[in-house]
Amino acid sequence: MNDISRSIPKLDSVPKAFGNERYVNDIRYENALYAKTLRSPHAKARILRRRYPELPAGYHIIDHTHVPGENVVNIIADDQPVFAADRVTYYQEPILLVIGPDKRVVLKLMKDIHIEYDIEVPQFEWTDSVVHYHFTKGNLAKVKEQADKVIRREYHSGYQEQLYIEPQGMIGYHDGKQVILEGSLQCPYYVKNALIRTLNCADDYVRVRQATVGGAFGGKEEFPSLIACQLAVAIEVIRKPIRLIYEREEDVESTTKRHPSHITMTAYVKDNEILGIQSEVGLDGGANIGLSGVVLSRALIATTGVYTIDHLDVTGDVYRTNTVPNGAFRGFGAPQMLFAVEMFMHHVAAELKVDALAFRQRYLAKQGDHTSTGGTFRDPIIMPEMLSRVLDESDYLNKRERYASPDSHRGIGMSWVLHGCGFTGSGEATHIKARVKLHKRTTDEVEILIAAVDMGQGVKTTMTKLVATILDVPMSQVIYDNPDTNFVPDSGPTVASRTMMIVGGLVARAARRLRDEWNAGEDQWIEERYVQPDYIKWDETTFHGDAYPAYSWGINIVEVEVDPATYEVTVLETWNIYDVGKAIDEQVILGQADGGQLQGLGLGYLEVMNHKQGVIQQRNVTDYIISTSVDTPPMHNYLMDNPYPLGPYGAKGAGELTLVGGAPAVALAIEQAIGKEIHEIPVTPERIMELMNDE
Amino acid sequence: MVKHIIPNSLKEALDYMDGHYTTIVAGGTDLMVQRRNWAELPPTFTSDPVYVFHLSELNYVNEDDKNVYIGAVTPMSVLLDHPATPQLLKDAIAIIAAPGLRNMATIAGNIGNASPAGDSLPILYALDALVRIQSKSQNSLLPIAQVIQGPRKTILDNNELITEIVIPKDPFTFQMFRKVGGRKADAISKVSFTGSVRIEGKHVTDLRIAFGAVAPTVVRVRDIEMEYEGKTVKQLQQQVKSLQEAYATYIRPIDDQRSNKEYRMNVAMNLLEQFISSLKEE
Repeated sequence: MNDISRSIPKLDSVPKAFGNERYVNDIRYENALYAKTLRSPHAKARILRRRYPELPAGYHIIDHTHVPGENVVNIIADDQPVFAADRVTYYQEPILLVIGPDKRVVLKLMKDIHIEYDIEVPQFEWTDSVVHYHFTKGNLAKVKEQADKVIRREYHSGYQEQLYIEPQGMIGYHDGKQVILEGSLQCPYYVKNALIRTLNCADDYVRVRQATVGGAFGGKEEFPSLIACQLAVAIEVIRKPIRLIYEREEDVESTTKRHPSHITMTAYVKDNEILGIQSEVGLDGGANIGLSGVVLSRALIATTGVYTIDHLDVTGDVYRTNTVPNGAFRGFGAPQMLFAVEMFMHHVAAELKVDALAFRQRYLAKQGDHTSTGGTFRDPIIMPEMLSRVLDESDYLNKRERYASPDSHRGIGMSWVLHGCGFTGSGEATHIKARVKLHKRTTDEVEILIAAVDMGQGVKTTMTKLVATILDVPMSQVIYDNPDTNFVPDSGPTVASRTMMIVGGLVARAARRLRDEWNAGEDQWIEERYVQPDYIKWDETTFHGDAYPAYSWGINIVEVEVDPATYEVTVLETWNIYDVGKAIDEQVILGQADGGQLQGLGLGYLEVMNHKQGVIQQRNVTDYIISTSVDTPPMHNYLMDNPYPLGPYGAKGAGELTLVGGAPAVALAIEQAIGKEIHEIPVTPERIMELMNDE
Repeated sequence: MVKHIIPNSLKEALDYMDGHYTTIVAGGTDLMVQRRNWAELPPTFTSDPVYVFHLSELNYVNEDDKNVYIGAVTPMSVLLDHPATPQLLKDAIAIIAAPGLRNMATIAGNIGNASPAGDSLPILYALDALVRIQSKSQNSLLPIAQVIQGPRKTILDNNELITEIVIPKDPFTFQMFRKVGGRKADAISKVSFTGSVRIEGKHVTDLRIAFGAVAPTVVRVRDIEMEYEGKTVKQLQQQVKSLQEAYATYIRPIDDQRSNKEYRMNVAMNLLEQFISSLKEE
């Protein structure tokens, strides 16, 4: 049999390159109406009165009074209303939809709506903690007493915008029996469950279909539920096809972003050894909690990164502020934490005047070590082999020495990262309970029925390949259409680097059963359900046990040059090595490696976003700077096999791993180039100037 | 309701502009963004757009012994490839936006739009470019600094059209252009620096310095330049601090979503210093 990693053409490449894929904005229904969102002009206010204009025939205003069920978007915390009712808590919060056949009339009606507000003082400081977690490992109080040195640093990270090419959008209609929505989304069942709650309807009254997704990066995890609920309410009232497609600036100003963070780390040291670490993590949740608690737990669990530290005291808070709600973004809290811990290990080494590489190697986790939450790294850890390979390829040691003089204006930085695969804690077993189905038609074509969404990451290609390989049939005999909740079971959301490892694992099991039970020409159905391995134990109140079933590992090395006149950073070259268990398709993983790294580097040095009084200042692709091809360095990516026994062919998670180490690697490289400690990302030229001028 | 005017000739355009309130659309690369509307709706013009990009009589690059003549609708991508285009202008165009945009954008549009961050403008200031402005009855040639009055403000009357840019062929021995944007391509300038000198023997006989994106309009100060012209390269290099101080009063940058004052000021000064220290005796 061929090695499954051997690349095949990605199934969506040709249709996408030729413009033949239909994204949500390409779906046209006859007589569809246009919906536009009226939004809050204030960061915090009570709504006192509304005066709506008289509506011409065929035009509608849909607001909170039309919601048949609960005026709540079903996320995790119930704090996002479908439509603001009596108060607004962030700038651009949606209040109502104006709907009609002519966009010009819709815009005119928007202007004629008068809402009277009682403006309140908004909260922008991080003081209102709405989620608080605390856990310990070992006994930090005891080792504090033994310490001969205490080293403390504070780290900060800013917003990051997903900036998917295709803005948020959804289109829907009523077919007499069901409200049917088609949209750009990652989680068909999140949307469906939200609709059931908002419409207060039977399970089979709503149907959610995934349109081809033009990028998501977590931005289409929970947010699409909001516009889906709004649109469904409107369809329920108006009973006509309606489209709700965001403009770019509307999308950037009003949709979820990566949480800004403040992280304080304190190391208790004796004889140049870290005895224990205390971390205090703060995230800006924005106006709603939403998923922020889950993002915070992933951050906290990553508190020691790839290192084994025996004594820990970890606290975390999500702060509510009157700013746009923050939410899911590739990495999900880990990028902020890994930035902090990677910088911190270097800063501790520097303060102890010891070699950072040797110092870090002493703490690098080994198989059998206890994780930050007292779980166990059960599977082999091949970081030493990965390290030796990537050090060679990059000539890191020589360059690190050569760039030690600040006159070189060059630097090289290296981050070590891991990423827990799948949902945090017992989420897979208790919340998601994934189900998958395979359907063999009488034609012997096999249909993959899962709720996983191809958003460009390649899951259509890899799932199809997985099934075709196991069944030993041609790819063309396996069918994987965009998920439609009328047909696919709930295999869970397309998030958390879980799709291949968890869903693919179930699909592989189903395919093996089908292979064994194969009856040519017969209609056959196979279903598989997720069963958590017995040895995985997690207590979500104490944060104790195995937070993840498996971990993927990576090393990023980044070389930069800093212009001493303009403080601009040029990323010269990067070297990256990953253990994702086993690549189901090498090219697909290398695609993740390129894209993930650019997004990770962007977080580290390029992508600036901030708010002023709750108003996002970089609202479009002109002002929000992401890498162009000219900024993109040569990226050398290497994969090393380390098959995970429960993953299909040994596959683990891959999508997020490639992002999480980019920021610390580039920050460490810049740190060497300018000879100053860096505590804040993105490391912009403006910040580099301040650091360089600060003697 | 506005009327969209697609004239068949320059004359037709000028005739219509005489007596109508109009907006000129050359490449439209800035204008269409400024007037953007909800997708699928036409841009929001408040006066009649007059489209001139297709007028071939305004699409040319010519030269004689003294000058280069650039027709107003010549796309930047054509200028980038044309042998007569001054090198500094090529340097600037090469990093303006991206190739698709350069196929549409014009330097006359940069002038008409008068953005403080327009990247071709500091070059035109440094090269003493002249701008031909025509109306139905008038035809005048004005220095660029007189044409641009402030951010998005020009001297042009409603019935006037920029038809040509004239760039004198002055002999320079060293030139430098640096644009500092948020990234390496497709970025709006945070600050830009243009320097041009003629050095004869030991002496700097012609000195031109222009800063972009650090004040309401391009900063070029003839008084400062004249004070230092005639000095030797060595003298100039010794006096770089006082040169920087002289410019500091003219550089009045702002804080915005792209950068801040301190950075713009610092980088402008660093680039000036870099330019002066790179000068060599001939």
